[in-house]
Amino acid sequence: MKKVLAMIFVLAMLVSSVAMAETIVVMPKLVGIPYFNASENGVKAAGEELGIDARYVGPTEGDAALQVQMIEDLLVDGIDALAIAPNDPDSVSPALQKCIADDVLVLDWDTTANGDDVTFSVHQIDDKVLGETLIDLLVDQIGEEGEYAIVTGYLTAANLNTWIDAGQAYAAEKYPGLKLVTDPVPSDESQQEAYNQTMALLQAYPDLKGILGYSTPAPIGAAKAVQEKGLNDQVAVVGTSMPNDSSEYLKDGSLDYAVLWDPAQLGKLAVYVAHLTLNGEELEGYEVPGVGPIHVEEDGKTIIMGPPTVWTAENVDNYDF
Amino acid sequence: MKEHIKKNAHQYRLLGLLVILLIVMGILAPGKFLTVKNFKNMGFQMAEFGILAIGMSVVIMTGGINLSIVNSAMLASIVSAMAMRTLYNGGEGMADIPVILIGVAITVVIAIACGMINGFFVAYIGVLPILVTLGTQTVFDGIALNITRGSGVSGFPKLFQKIGAGTLGQIPYTMLIYVVVIVVAYLMIERSRWGISVYMVGGNEKATRFSGINTKKTIMGVYVFSAVLSGLAGILMTSRYNSAKADYGSSYTMQAVAATVLGGTSINGGSGHVLGTVIAVAIIQVISSGFNILKINRNFTDIATGLILVGVLALNHFVNKGSLKKRVRVSVK
Repeated sequence: MKKVLAMIFVLAMLVSSVAMAETIVVMPKLVGIPYFNASENGVKAAGEELGIDARYVGPTEGDAALQVQMIEDLLVDGIDALAIAPNDPDSVSPALQKCIADDVLVLDWDTTANGDDVTFSVHQIDDKVLGETLIDLLVDQIGEEGEYAIVTGYLTAANLNTWIDAGQAYAAEKYPGLKLVTDPVPSDESQQEAYNQTMALLQAYPDLKGILGYSTPAPIGAAKAVQEKGLNDQVAVVGTSMPNDSSEYLKDGSLDYAVLWDPAQLGKLAVYVAHLTLNGEELEGYEVPGVGPIHVEEDGKTIIMGPPTVWTAENVDNYDF
Repeated sequence: MKEHIKKNAHQYRLLGLLVILLIVMGILAPGKFLTVKNFKNMGFQMAEFGILAIGMSVVIMTGGINLSIVNSAMLASIVSAMAMRTLYNGGEGMADIPVILIGVAITVVIAIACGMINGFFVAYIGVLPILVTLGTQTVFDGIALNITRGSGVSGFPKLFQKIGAGTLGQIPYTMLIYVVVIVVAYLMIERSRWGISVYMVGGNEKATRFSGINTKKTIMGVYVFSAVLSGLAGILMTSRYNSAKADYGSSYTMQAVAATVLGGTSINGGSGHVLGTVIAVAIIQVISSGFNILKINRNFTDIATGLILVGVLALNHFVNKGSLKKRVRVSVK
């Protein structure tokens, strides 16, 4: 009998020690799309490196209602930290406040939540740096002088406009020889439309040396047009697109650089920030393996992952999203 | 009693399944699943979906379908949220209670209007329900997207959040509202003359019409009833998410169809029970919450729900086939 009791005691200890392990949940907008699948790998890697329970759970559809339910259910289980990419900041706000009331550390990653709901906000990129990088890469291809055009997603897209404006301000100062031939041309986040618009641009401006594509479909559509016109060597295309989509065009030379961030690193960083905060460790300067040192911005809340990742024909196959 | 069980065999089977699921989840997540906190939690979540599912069931009982049920809920909520925001004006406008009452009234009125559009095309023009509601789904969604430009509408009285977050003792208000809806729906569908005409239309519309029942009015009534429930669900959702947005609850449409079918309502119409749908909703909720608590990948939640749906339907098929054979054998003797 004593033996049995002892065994039960040991088992109970084991179970409770498992339950004691730190649980950090990273919630994407939805699971099952390449971008968020890639960040799952980063979250899992971080969990293994830190020896903690880092979970990646999210709804199968980008529905804010499902996200709210999942947060509420997670609270029943009891978690230590939640990093969320909200589908809609307002809708998850009441649920995040419940988390805070339950002493759960709340962060956002990828997409910002309402400021009052989070302790830290993990951003993928500094918009200014991305805007400037795109201009630098264009110059790398066409030199400091020449005509170029911009194909963007929507003219109303705030993030794309920030990147374009940052790049334009930078170009005006550093590369006065660059000439933007016309205002940014919208392509409605459609590859086909970007292709059509680029065809028109190539027709209208025969001296065009480069095209900058903003939004993920735009550079691909532009590259396709350049490729079909047989202008791979005459017209450079640089833009924000994902490696899997870009691979073919990078390899045939129609697309010269694809620039974005690595969602795997972003997921990893979110877990590290949560873990360090839970354990009261200093964030500033902490070296996250494979990502780099953490830097907290002056507002004491925003953490920017670092410079964008640039893909070329050589390194594009190392990424899968 | 035996007769009663035989007649409602499907519902008892579902109830059994629900109990088994509760026990399994209780074992898998000890000290977490079978807790007041979790049941309260499920109560908060189940109401909006349950009300939508009942609204869907009523339409399916007539052999129709309402694919715009979530979209009419959100369109009504968005218009009402905009009105509430303007009236409340960040606390400088009208007092909390009148603002909320006006908001609720607007939601219900717009939902009814949406329902009448569906009902008009199905009953009086004679277009197939699936086509009508697929069309209005896009129309309602398009209007909602247009007036909000895709963003959420918020900024109403804090008190409004109480509808979705408040409790009476340990029971969420949303659960109380849900129970009232269940009782009203049960009485209307299964205990009233109008309810009988609903089943009759689902069974054979032509025969029903020739028997002197105004089937057009019945069908119109069904779509309006469904829309009122959708408006009610919209109010709960707006309150729970503290905002209204065109794509909230977009996953509920097909889930509501699934809950209806799992609940024993024939997709061809003419049969079904409100309580069947209610139990089916509870089953889906237990799987969803249970899997979330166990932190199982959400894909498996969808798979498990789908498998249970297929499994229960298959079981029903074989059981019915079995009893049919027996009946045939008896008659052959």
